[in-house]
Order: sequence, then C-alpha cells, then structure tokens
Amino acid sequence: MNLVVLYLLLVKATLTSFSGLASLPVVRTDFVVRRHVLTDRQLNTAVAASRIGPGPLGIYVVSVGYLAGGVPGACVGWLAMITPAFLIIPMLRFLGVRAEHPRARAVARAVLFAGAGLMLSAAAPMARDAITGPLSLAIVAASLILIAITRVDSLWVMLGAAVVGMLSFLF
Amino acid sequence: MAQPRLASVTRLFARVGVTVFGGGDPTIAILQREFYRRDWLSAEKFAIAFGLARLTPGTNVLAFCAAAGWYIRGLPGALTAVLAITIPASVLVVWLTRAYDLTGHYPLALSIANALVAAAVGTMVGAAVLLVRTQSSRGRWLRPIVISLGAFVLAYFAKLSPLQVIGAAVVVGFFWVES
Repeated sequence: MNLVVLYLLLVKATLTSFSGLASLPVVRTDFVVRRHVLTDRQLNTAVAASRIGPGPLGIYVVSVGYLAGGVPGACVGWLAMITPAFLIIPMLRFLGVRAEHPRARAVARAVLFAGAGLMLSAAAPMARDAITGPLSLAIVAASLILIAITRVDSLWVMLGAAVVGMLSFLF
Repeated sequence: MAQPRLASVTRLFARVGVTVFGGGDPTIAILQREFYRRDWLSAEKFAIAFGLARLTPGTNVLAFCAAAGWYIRGLPGALTAVLAITIPASVLVVWLTRAYDLTGHYPLALSIANALVAAAVGTMVGAAVLLVRTQSSRGRWLRPIVISLGAFVLAYFAKLSPLQVIGAAVVVGFFWVES
C-alpha cells in the first residue's frame, strides 16, 4: 500500500477520535471494508497486540501500519499516531499567563481532582478483570500502598509484579 | 520546580512507555507520581495538561506527554517526551504483532502480563490517592474529596465521558473557589 495514502488514512482515523481505540471503526471501514487491505482477523491481531503489550491502546495503529505496509508501514503508523498529540501545544501557548489567574488556578485544581476520580473509574473495570484470586489481589494492594505512601520508584513496583507473576507460574 | 536534562526526560518517558501495561490511564498515573517524586511539574500544570489532553484529538496520553514535556523543557521537551514514550513501545508492538499467534503457547508470558495489569490497577488507585492527599492541606480537604468522588460517580455510575466529567469539574472549579 502507498505509504502516503496509508499515513493519510491513519491520521484521518486518529484525528477524528478522542481516545485510543475510538478510531477503530474508521480504521475498519477504510482498511477492511472499503480497501480490503486487511482482514478482520488481522485487525483483531493488531488490537490484541496493543492490549497485551505496554503503552497506550492507540498504539494499535502502528500494528495496523505494519500489517498493511511492513516496517515502513509501521513507521507511518507511528507518525500518524503521534501527529495529533502536538495540537495541544498551541492550546498551551494560548493559555499562557491566563493560567496564573486565581480563578483559572481554582479551575485547574478542580480538573486535577476530577482526574483522580477519573483514574479510579478507569481502574474499577480493569480491577474486575485483573483480580482473579488472592495473589492478584495482593499485587493490587501492594502496588497501591507502595505508590500512595512510599517514594519507591514505580519501575520497581512493575518489575516486582513481573517477578511475582513469573514465580506464580513456575511454582 | 527542577529543570531536568533532556536525557533524564528521555529515560523516564521511555521507561514508562515499556513498563506500564493497561493503556493510557495507568501511564498518566505513573507519570504523575514520578513528576511529583522528581519535582518536575506543579499540580496546576499537571491539571492543565491532563484536562487539555482530553480535548485533543488522537491518543490522549500522547497529548498529555507532549504537554508535560513542553512544560518541563519547552518544545524539545515535548518532542522528546512523545518520541521516547512511543518509539520503544512501537518496536515492541510490531514484535508482538509478528509473534501474536505464538503467544497462546506461552502461558508464562500471559502470567507475567496478568501480574503487570494487576500492578497497573494498584498504581492507578495509589496515584489517585496520592494526588488528593498531596493537594489536601489541613482544613482544605473537603473540595478535593468532593470533586474527586463526584467525578468518580459521574464517570463510573452515570457513565459520563471523561470530557463531560472534566467539563463539570471546570464549572464547579469556577464557582467553588477556596477561600
């Protein structure tokens, strides 16, 4: 597939969505239904690969690019994924000193607290899937305590969880 | 606020990009925690980056990284943050795409991935607690707790989108100013 067309199709999908997998219907319409570049099975593989790997779910467009155009396609998919992110810079520049106004600071702090609530609401459905027994519950509790109370580097929390997951399989 | 070198920014974002599983929300939770630990970003700037990222098309967490990087080190910081968090993770996702049909034969890998998702859940709750705890001073705990719990109820029970919840927070924040 032509790399310019691939980029334009993927950036259209990312620019018209507001979260990681929200672009999926647009991608499916363009790549599976209209152009027959991918099959539904390949699209599922792209989504599954993004879900089992680290990073944002929107990274599945890199996988779509790879399946449609090999390694150059993956690079194009990556470019389409990151392009919209930089639209935030003009918004930040516009806010500039206006953000120092006391009422603007009060609004910012309210958004900050709402962010905490949104994190909890995102964690709740993930917890239903992730907590499958006493061990996974212990991992959730231990990581919660370590993150909320101590200053331990989050890398050690993740590495510790990986080691526990490995040991639980081996023993 | 400390102004870190670009190499330090690269190291943090690349590391978070390849070690945090479960999507954008745990990634933001971990970054918020690490910014706080390193004194790289004020709570107000974090809030602006978080709120505006929801209004930006595309993958929210990448817009958040661009904004955080911009606040930390200007345009080079924004570029560094987005490149560092996406390039190693993209290499991994291409490899996983190639290997996907084989992963069913590797239950050890699935066991590790499940443990990492459990850690991501704990991290998200821990980061939310940390966020409210560090912003609540003596006698000023009501506003943080009411807004946080209200946002949780609106998102989880009333099924409002994050954008709508942030819109509600903007209205509340505008009219309910701490004395």
